[in-house]
Amino acid sequence: MASSRDDFVIAIRSAFLKKSTQQKFSLLTLVFVSIFTILLSSLDFKVVRYLKIAIGEVVYRSSFVVSIPENFIKNTFIDVYEYTTYFKKYKKTEKELKNLRSNYVSSEIIQYENQELKELINDYVSTSDKIMAKIIVDHQSPFLRSIIINKGSKDSIKIGTNIYDQSYLVGRVIELNYKTSRVLLLSDLNSNVPVTIAPQNIQAIVTGAGEDFGQIQYIKAGLSEEIIGDSTVYTSGTGAVFKSGIPIGKLISVKDNSSTKYTVDFYSDFSQLKYVFADVGTKKEILQSEIDTDENDNKINNPLDAKLKILEDEKKIIEETNLKFQQENEKLKNQINDLSNKILSLNNEVSFHKDKINQVHADVNELEFLRLNLDYGHKCRKSFFNNKGFVVGSEEYKKCVLNRGRIN
Amino acid sequence: MASLRSRGSFSKFYSLIPIFILFISVLNEFDFNYLNLEYFSFNFPFILIFFFSLKDFKYFDYLLVFIAGLINDTVIGLPLGISSLSYMIICISTSYLRNITIRPHPIKDWFFFLFIISLINSINYSLLTLFFSYTLILENYLINNFFTFLFYIVFLNLFKLYLKGVND
Repeated sequence: MASSRDDFVIAIRSAFLKKSTQQKFSLLTLVFVSIFTILLSSLDFKVVRYLKIAIGEVVYRSSFVVSIPENFIKNTFIDVYEYTTYFKKYKKTEKELKNLRSNYVSSEIIQYENQELKELINDYVSTSDKIMAKIIVDHQSPFLRSIIINKGSKDSIKIGTNIYDQSYLVGRVIELNYKTSRVLLLSDLNSNVPVTIAPQNIQAIVTGAGEDFGQIQYIKAGLSEEIIGDSTVYTSGTGAVFKSGIPIGKLISVKDNSSTKYTVDFYSDFSQLKYVFADVGTKKEILQSEIDTDENDNKINNPLDAKLKILEDEKKIIEETNLKFQQENEKLKNQINDLSNKILSLNNEVSFHKDKINQVHADVNELEFLRLNLDYGHKCRKSFFNNKGFVVGSEEYKKCVLNRGRIN
Repeated sequence: MASLRSRGSFSKFYSLIPIFILFISVLNEFDFNYLNLEYFSFNFPFILIFFFSLKDFKYFDYLLVFIAGLINDTVIGLPLGISSLSYMIICISTSYLRNITIRPHPIKDWFFFLFIISLINSINYSLLTLFFSYTLILENYLINNFFTFLFYIVFLNLFKLYLKGVND
């Protein structure tokens, strides 16, 4: 018993302390260094922070270079898939583009109106200044969902900077280096975003699920019944971590055995991201004095200019629409004239046919009179033996024939 | 016939191939995640480190393994030192296994590997959730553990071929 314990102790001691010929450090030393590093990384020392930034810069760039062959294979795989579904996608996109174009003008007007109203209520105005960033590392670990972009503190990016794919929210910066930064994606388990569910106007929190969708959490009791399918989820701006009104995804209700769960289908496909936009814009407080000065000045500021331009565009569209209506009106008038002429000619035709029918009726009556005349003419005709008769051709004679003889 | 290792600088480079692969794998994180296969992930560095620290430990520098761990933490976004500690635990366990084993057997190694990766994943999960307040799904760790265990046998044969090539 004691011998086996001794063997175990010797084996353990040997495993920890014995250095092989090629090893510079014993494993025990390296374990201690690892634990020390973990402790240091949990403490936010300035030296450690700079060390982490330096390691990050080198490692991210190296990772980008090393990932080139894998990215090539990955992109080829995606390209082949996209080519096979190219036509279908094109048709769908064309349809969507048509709809979007029509919505674009009104959307911009609303945006500028919103900005103007914010100015009126003395709120802050966010100047949206987006810079494009390339994704250099996007290894999606099953545990953590994050990407590395090639913009850092040098490009005015800060911790918490919102990252977009076009106009959809993708995530926020959680780690900042000089020329690179790490973005925590919305799909990460550690991501929490305050959102508004429209059109019901329900406030909630979207957390990542570690998959390609998010989960709705922390809805006030009772409000979840109001949620209907096809609702849109966008940032509420609560907590000032994310800007308000940024679209995130569509709400999907998943029926479980006893309860209904709500998930968010993100507009952006995080696995297909190549470039993103970082919002480096700063919020600017609007002071009353500034507004007064602006009013006194005859200078037209940018939002007004832009609004004017939009209104001009709208006017142009309305004029074009009016012209179209006029042309259509003319066309309809011509059509009405043609139809009137047609009606007139048809009326003439009807009256002609009526006359013809009357003629036929008259002929029938005449024929009947002649037939009766043959049978009863002698009873009505005035003669030597019938002095009570009538003169042939007179009205009384005709009446007498039609009555089949005289009526006493 | 002299082995490759006694044939100069080319053979030295050949001996360092596992370390190169380790560095490439931690920098690249190749795990076929882009295939979007649900419930599929495995930890290649665990397999590589376990095998080479067990079978070819003389040419497998622990310091470089430690640095590979730091790089892995930076790429994935974990607190620095977590992966290094995991890799060092693997090295210790293989060193221990070598000391207590008289007649090595692949199946025994395989199940020892399962025990070790389960232990490491448990430590990682506990450290990240308890000390760093990360939200993690345990199920993902279990699946990763299972596939890493399965893939060990696949890579074992490949690595054996390499070792045969080096030693012949």
